[in-house]
Parts: sequence; C-alpha cells; structure tokens
Amino acid sequence: MTIPLSVRRSHFRRAELVEVVLEQQLEGPDRLSGPQQAAAPIVQNQDDRAVFDEVFLPHMAEAYRLAHWLTGNASDAEDVVQDAALRAFRGIRSFGAVNARAWSLTIVRNTAYSWLMKNRPKAVVFTDDLSAAEQRQLEQEGPQGTRIETPEEIALFKADAEDVQRALAELPAQFREAIVLREINQLNYRDIAEITNVPIGTVMSRLSRGRQLLIALLGDRT
Amino acid sequence: MTSSLKDDDELLMNAYCDGELDPASAIEFERRLAADQALNARYNRLLSLRTAVRALPRYELPSGLQDRIKSALDANGPGQAQQPGEARLPGQVVRLHQRSWSFRALAAAAVLGAVISGAATLTLERYQQREDVAREIVADHIRGLLAPQPFDVASSDRHTVKPWFTSRLPESPQVPDLAAQGFMLVGGRVDVIGQDPVATIVYKHALHTISLTTLPSGRSVPDQVISGYNVRSWSDAEFTYVAVSDLPSPDLATFERAFSAASAAPEIK
Repeated sequence: MTIPLSVRRSHFRRAELVEVVLEQQLEGPDRLSGPQQAAAPIVQNQDDRAVFDEVFLPHMAEAYRLAHWLTGNASDAEDVVQDAALRAFRGIRSFGAVNARAWSLTIVRNTAYSWLMKNRPKAVVFTDDLSAAEQRQLEQEGPQGTRIETPEEIALFKADAEDVQRALAELPAQFREAIVLREINQLNYRDIAEITNVPIGTVMSRLSRGRQLLIALLGDRT
Repeated sequence: MTSSLKDDDELLMNAYCDGELDPASAIEFERRLAADQALNARYNRLLSLRTAVRALPRYELPSGLQDRIKSALDANGPGQAQQPGEARLPGQVVRLHQRSWSFRALAAAAVLGAVISGAATLTLERYQQREDVAREIVADHIRGLLAPQPFDVASSDRHTVKPWFTSRLPESPQVPDLAAQGFMLVGGRVDVIGQDPVATIVYKHALHTISLTTLPSGRSVPDQVISGYNVRSWSDAEFTYVAVSDLPSPDLATFERAFSAASAAPEIK
C-alpha cells in the first residue's frame, strides 16, 4: 500500500540502463519518413501543403513543448520541430484523417528520439519498465517487507518549480514522455498509447511508475 | 502474486486521477477513497504532484519558428516542381492562350453559372444546417436529461472539467464557475454535432439544467424555442455558445451575461 522503498533515486540510478536501438524504438508510425522516401525526389503539390497547414500547423505549440521536454533544451527543440515539420509534410499523404493531433505529435516524438540518437546519443536513456533491482526487491520482500506509511508521513509537496522541473528531466525517457504527454500536453491514455506505440496497459503502468519515481526524487531532495 | 494487488491499486489510483476509469469503477474507487485514510493520503499526494507538474512554466513556441518552417517548405515544396516545367515551354503556352479564346469565354460562363447556383444552394444549405444544429443541440440536451446524469464528467470544480475537455477535444472552452451568480457548475460532456465532437458544459439553476454547447465560432444559431426548450446563442472570438434550458428566456439572458463576463476575464489559476 505504499511506495516500495526501492524506488529511490540511488536504486534506479544503479538499475541497468538499456539504450534502445534506434530502429527498434522507431518502428511504427515513423515509417512514413524512412530514408528511402527522403532519397527519392519529392514532388508535392498545393493540396499537400494545404493539408499540412491544416493538420500539422495548429499543433505546433504543443509540438514544441513536447520536443523541449524530450530533448531538454530550447535549441534542440527548434531543430526537432523543424525536422518533424518537414517529415510531416513529406508524409502528409499517409495521414489517415483520424487524429491530427496524435499524428503530428507521433512524428515529433519519433523525430526527437532519432535526432537525439544522432546528435547526442548519451542523452537518450531508457530503462526496463520495471528495473531489475526493483523487481528483485519486490520479489524478496513482497508487500509485507515494505513499510506502511501513515497518512501523516505522506507529506504534500512543497517542492518549488525548479525541483519539479529537474526531477522530471531526470526521469528515464519512457516515463518522462508518458508524464509530459499526460500532464503537459494533456492527452488521454489512448492517444498516449498511439503516440508512444505501446499498449494502453503499458501507458498506465509507465504513468504510475513515473509518478512514483517523481515522488521519490522530490522526497529525496527535501 | 500478492504484490500485484498493490500494483493494481496504484494503477487504479492513477487511472482515477486521470479520469480514465469507467463510471462503475470510479464510484467504487471513490467509496474506498472515502473509507481508507491511507489511500486517501496517497491520492492527495498524487494530486499535489499533478498540480506541481502542471504549474511548471510552459515552453512557448519561439516567435518566428513557424514562419521559418513555412518558408522552408515554400522553398522545397510545390514551387520547385512547377516552375521549371513552365519555363521550358513559353511558346506553347502563348499559342494555347490565343487558340482557346472562345473556350475561355465558354468556361467563364460555365464557372459563373456554377458559382451563382452554388451560392444559392449554399445559402439554403446553410440555413438548413443552422436549423439542424439547433435541433441536434436540443436533442442532446434532452438525451442528457433522460440519462442517469446529464454529463460524462461530474464535477463542480472547473479545474477538473476544463482539463477533461482539453484531453478530449482539440479546442476547449473556458469553464467558469458561476455559483456566485446562481448557476452551479455540475459537469461536462462531449456532444456530437454533425460529425464533430464539441464541448458541452452543464450548469444547474435551482432545479433547471442548462446545457451550454460550444461550437467553432462563426456558426450562428438563431434564438428560438424547440420542443419547449429555450435556445439562446451568442459568440465570442473563439466559440459560438448555444445554451439550452427550460429556464424562461430572461433567466437564460442573465446566464449569458454571467458566462460572458466570467469567460472574458483572464482565467485565474
């Protein structure tokens, strides 16, 4: 009934970090901007441009916000959004006319990761959804092993914005993106699942884990 | 495994916090929340985390980025594909122009005719659409009254209703709390008008329910009475609002004034 003690910064720092291979992570909706298409001469017409203006442009502010959180700084975010806009324009015919917002953000998200892999590969860190250390601790101790916190012990946050920002930036990528998509872009689970290309159940557990990690990180600081 | 029980709780709490539980599970969870002090404390902590994350300063789109992107697209988009083709055949183009004078006159006449009749049908269609829109909105209101509750998200807290809309719709209206003016915020729902999902905010005034549906601005709906319900509409820069209620029309006018005044004021966070 409480946050496992194992969810402490030191533990997930030590947890095995998995750098996910680019192709593996970016399969799915990013197909549309694969290298084979970029190499071929692109002949696009006024209609494509009109569709692009209608589909991608309205979500530009959100796209930038997401890119900023995924890359961690403003100039990288600009590069990513520009890159993503170009990819979106080239792939505009693959837009299924269903959810322009999710479609656009999917491209931004995938562009952000491929951009990071290319330019700052060290910055991209994914972990297993449940790290080995946490798994072990859970199995050894079980729920009885974890201390039940009394309501009085569960303090509300008085963390300032800077701490929250830093803690969120420190989260492993898949937890950070889930929380950013949920809280900053305010998307529902279905859209987050579509954008990050995982089942809804995984979105749920990432959000839950991510928030626990945030709480633990912020708790460590105070 | 026993630990999965604990995990489930955590997931349930998060899903509830995100408004993603189905109504039955949500009610059950609320019951547990009320009974279990420890769970309640953890839930409050989760809420305070959410507040902290949402209060983070927003990264704003740098001015000029959108223009840079547009001009980048202009540079490698349609322009390149067309201009070389035109440049290669100037003679042909000119000859074609001379030869086809009568065709052009004919084409112009045809286009003119099409435009006139098109405009006529458009006006007719638009008129019918306006009627249909009002009727659809009233139908949604009635449907709301017949359902166990007239909303999908129940909350008198505008900080719950507004994000709920935001996560479901590309554009969502301000959700002012008008309790001080006698109109209680009770919740919100998504209605489908034509093919488009739109936000409807639900207020109560004494025992009367008011559905306030928000359409993209520019779609005027005339004030009228449909099936005994008063329909009143007004617009601001962002939306066209259509209020439906069994309230008498002077009261509905009061509601309009209260809502306009509150939604025009900058939102206090």
